[in-house]
Amino acid sequence: MILGDIALTFGVLSLIAFGGMPAVMPEMQRLVVEVKGWTTAPEFVQLFAIAQAAPGPNVLIVSLIGWRAAGLAGALIALLAVCAPAAVLSWWIADLWERFRHSPWRVAIQKAIAPLVVGLTLSGGYVLCTPATPDWRLWLIAAASAGASLALKTNPLWILAAGGTLGGLLLSG
Amino acid sequence: MQATPPRTLVELFTGFLAIGARSFGGVLPWAYRTMVEERRWLTQADFAETIGLCQFLPGPNIGNASIVLGKRWFGVAGSIVAFLGLMALPFVWVIALGALYLEWASHPTVRAVVTAVGATGAGLFIGTALKLGRAIVRKPAALVLVAGCFLSVGVGRLSMLIVLPLGAALGVLFARRGWL
Repeated sequence: MILGDIALTFGVLSLIAFGGMPAVMPEMQRLVVEVKGWTTAPEFVQLFAIAQAAPGPNVLIVSLIGWRAAGLAGALIALLAVCAPAAVLSWWIADLWERFRHSPWRVAIQKAIAPLVVGLTLSGGYVLCTPATPDWRLWLIAAASAGASLALKTNPLWILAAGGTLGGLLLSG
Repeated sequence: MQATPPRTLVELFTGFLAIGARSFGGVLPWAYRTMVEERRWLTQADFAETIGLCQFLPGPNIGNASIVLGKRWFGVAGSIVAFLGLMALPFVWVIALGALYLEWASHPTVRAVVTAVGATGAGLFIGTALKLGRAIVRKPAALVLVAGCFLSVGVGRLSMLIVLPLGAALGVLFARRGWL
């Protein structure tokens, strides 16, 4: 049952997505490309690009993957599956977390998670600009984009547009 | 500044619809603009605190924010309405854009541009990681965790189901010793 498989896969990703979607991208890529074969590594990057360029939360990449695997039903199930478990958890924890504001354990957990999120987000970036064998052109684009996002206070959409133009010149030649 | 929460579910829905529909280049700035500046549902401090919590929780940050805020104002119905409002239009956009892309995917230039946009998005992630990393860069124990995550998950392609519990346990241990 592919829809059940989609629900389960994205449901698990939902609960481990500390730090939001960027941190869970390496695991998502591993599962949907290498384990499930719902899309290929190059197409995964392209679907990610579409989700980044379209307005809306970047979590919508899961709908594109679900759609490629099982049509419109797959798209809806994937989105619900990646949001619902985390939503239930948020619903509960929002109040509990407030109550433990000064607990040393809360402080320790927060401090522990911060470097993990940095390392996982970095991994997400690396995996997405290395879809197959390392390609210096994609690394160059990613490095320029990272630099631009740190140096400029512009809407990321402009950086995406510039990167797309640069890639059109570099990659299709 | 005085904040007044939305009075009806319809108001809540249209507010989140406005966030989702316009959020080119990232949702967070639009969420701020809609809820703090335009509709004045939240004060700036409230907004920052809610987003901070949702960034800590697992799952899509802004999706969680719609759940937490919807709950605060209208209970379960509020959570569902805010979530649907946020996702409805972006879902349609992304599927439409995906369908359009697949029509053109065999064209080499189109594929090159879209792949490059993906690499650019990857660069934005790296930029975000570096920004977040500034706060912890002087702590060797934190750098060990960052490097461990990157090498095992990013380069080594190990499952996060293994790395995350191990990393979290080590992190809590380090934090309790005052190394983080």
